[in-house]
Amino acid sequence: MSVHKYTEKVMDHFRNPRNVGEIEDADGVGKVGNPVCGDLMWIYIKVGKNKEGEEIITDIKFKTFGCGSAVSTSSMITEMAKGMTLDDAYKISRGDVADELDGLPPIKMHCSNLAADALQAAIDNYRTGSNPELEVVTSCQLEVRVILGLEEFLGKGVYKKVNDLEQFRDKRIIVSDTGDESLELALKLTEYTGRVILVTSAKSTPGRVEIRKKLERSDVKILYQSEVIEIKGELDEVEKVVIHDFDEDEQYELFVDVVIILD
Amino acid sequence: MNAYLDYQAAKPVDPRVFDAMKPYFIEEFGNPSSLHLYGYNATKKLEESRQKIAEFINAPSPDNIIFTAGATESNNLAIIGGALRNKRKGNHIIISEIEHISILNIGKYLERQGFKVSRLSVDQYGRINLNKLERLINDKTILISISTASNEIGTLQPIEEIAEIAQKHKVWFHSDAVATQSSVPIDVQKVPFDLLTLSSNEIYGPRGIGALYLKKGVRVNPIIIGGGQEKGMRSGSENMPGIVGFAKAAEIMKAEINTEAARLKKLRDKLIEGILKIPKSYLNGHPEERTPHNANFRFDYIEGESLLLALKDENVEVATGSACSSKTLEPSHTLISCGLLHEEAHGSLLLTLGRFSEEKDVDKIIEVLPEVVRKLRVLSPLTPPKFLEQIKKEVN
Repeated sequence: MSVHKYTEKVMDHFRNPRNVGEIEDADGVGKVGNPVCGDLMWIYIKVGKNKEGEEIITDIKFKTFGCGSAVSTSSMITEMAKGMTLDDAYKISRGDVADELDGLPPIKMHCSNLAADALQAAIDNYRTGSNPELEVVTSCQLEVRVILGLEEFLGKGVYKKVNDLEQFRDKRIIVSDTGDESLELALKLTEYTGRVILVTSAKSTPGRVEIRKKLERSDVKILYQSEVIEIKGELDEVEKVVIHDFDEDEQYELFVDVVIILD
Repeated sequence: MNAYLDYQAAKPVDPRVFDAMKPYFIEEFGNPSSLHLYGYNATKKLEESRQKIAEFINAPSPDNIIFTAGATESNNLAIIGGALRNKRKGNHIIISEIEHISILNIGKYLERQGFKVSRLSVDQYGRINLNKLERLINDKTILISISTASNEIGTLQPIEEIAEIAQKHKVWFHSDAVATQSSVPIDVQKVPFDLLTLSSNEIYGPRGIGALYLKKGVRVNPIIIGGGQEKGMRSGSENMPGIVGFAKAAEIMKAEINTEAARLKKLRDKLIEGILKIPKSYLNGHPEERTPHNANFRFDYIEGESLLLALKDENVEVATGSACSSKTLEPSHTLISCGLLHEEAHGSLLLTLGRFSEEKDVDKIIEVLPEVVRKLRVLSPLTPPKFLEQIKKEVN
């Protein structure tokens, strides 16, 4: 297994990651990765000037969701970049990070690629002055979309109207956010099953304040900036849905029993 | 001593098994195909061993048992050999979405050879839908292959009902029994399997040896061609030390399985109770219908390989369904088929107990895991701010 192939340096950075955390008044923030493939990295930088008047990184912090080498590479790149000029820091490549760690298993090279990307994104963010929290969401939630398979499975796992909730006991249910009524239904369904997934085009928890608070406390799993684009099944039974995540611009399948898209 | 909680990956050979094997490397080296004294002795031991494997699963006769080089080979022989044997009757095979990787890949191979393979979906606990299974059967269906349980999430399948459906439609039923053979007794006269895969290492015998049970009248085409050993269904000189070890392991397991299962179940329940006290932790698989030695969890906001590495530093050895620890970088297909999102499947922790597990191993992980999970959550950007504040306070 890959675990045995990590160098001592990789394990050292994994056990004692350097510069973990956030910088509240950061000058630049870089957010890269994708939780679907298993890695997510946020890098925060603070920019100052050296004696020569060049811009340098005076402080740098990171947060990472990912495997051992994802943690180690983030930690390593923060050590490498601290005190560097922005131009030099921008040039740190994935190979550089891996070399500093005395090498990475080949299958893990993409992790070090991410660390370099996150740092570049943070520098880009500082230079352009754009706010990473204000990424523009694509316009797809405004369009009327056709969901493939919707008519085919109507009444066979797909519901536009819901009366008897008892029929959903213990099922895996996906509810599309079509307004407060659908959010209330999602909350109600948690009394019948442990698996309720809400798909919303919003970037944060949707709904009126009270509903939002309830959702945040509930077991409803929320998929943000996403939509159902296809319903698949066999023998007149829903088996799975295809979710489009328009923030990451990618599609994936999710196994469910019931799809609720209220009219 | 490290706490070893990964019995599904590998089991040590029982010392009693090792002792039984020893003479068959040097003194008793004969080949059962020879007619002289050494060959005669080997034949006698081979047939005694076959009898013990038959007794282990209550097979009516030792003639029902074919030795192979392990469970993967038995699965290949049963499904590919069975498909080739029945090619004229039909070309449709049914497996489930959560079969062992060997069976999923055999399915893909057979599709390339022109067979049709249906993959039966499962519910959130990993149980197949019997009604759907019956509706998938058509007049071209020749074989159903569904494991007795998942080795990963431990969920037991309704095998008696599957066997009944298969019999009703005159379709062969093959089952991979590897996940249950160390903790759930098997009786092939009670559940009418047509083909059953058995592994030696799963019951603390050596690796590199396994068996395929074939009901009377069931024959498969060989996939290894040679001198015609094992009734022509599996050629190659018999692995005598392996066969003797496997038989000894089966004999011990048959005698001890009930007490062992009860002991493991107690330890497993302690594990589940202790670990689910961690906030935002969940049990994967069925809460009741699961193998006595399996506990599979997931934790929100953290990734499994990190969890595995951090536990390794605490001298606790575990497994995960995370993609990062696999060769393909794909998360566990079993967890995905149960309806988990990729990032949820990434945060899974697989704990499996066995014959040499002790209460102190269970106590050890229950003691260290909460802090390991907390630390990884503090590090993770997926942890919501409110929850982060809460867990940061916990330590003080």
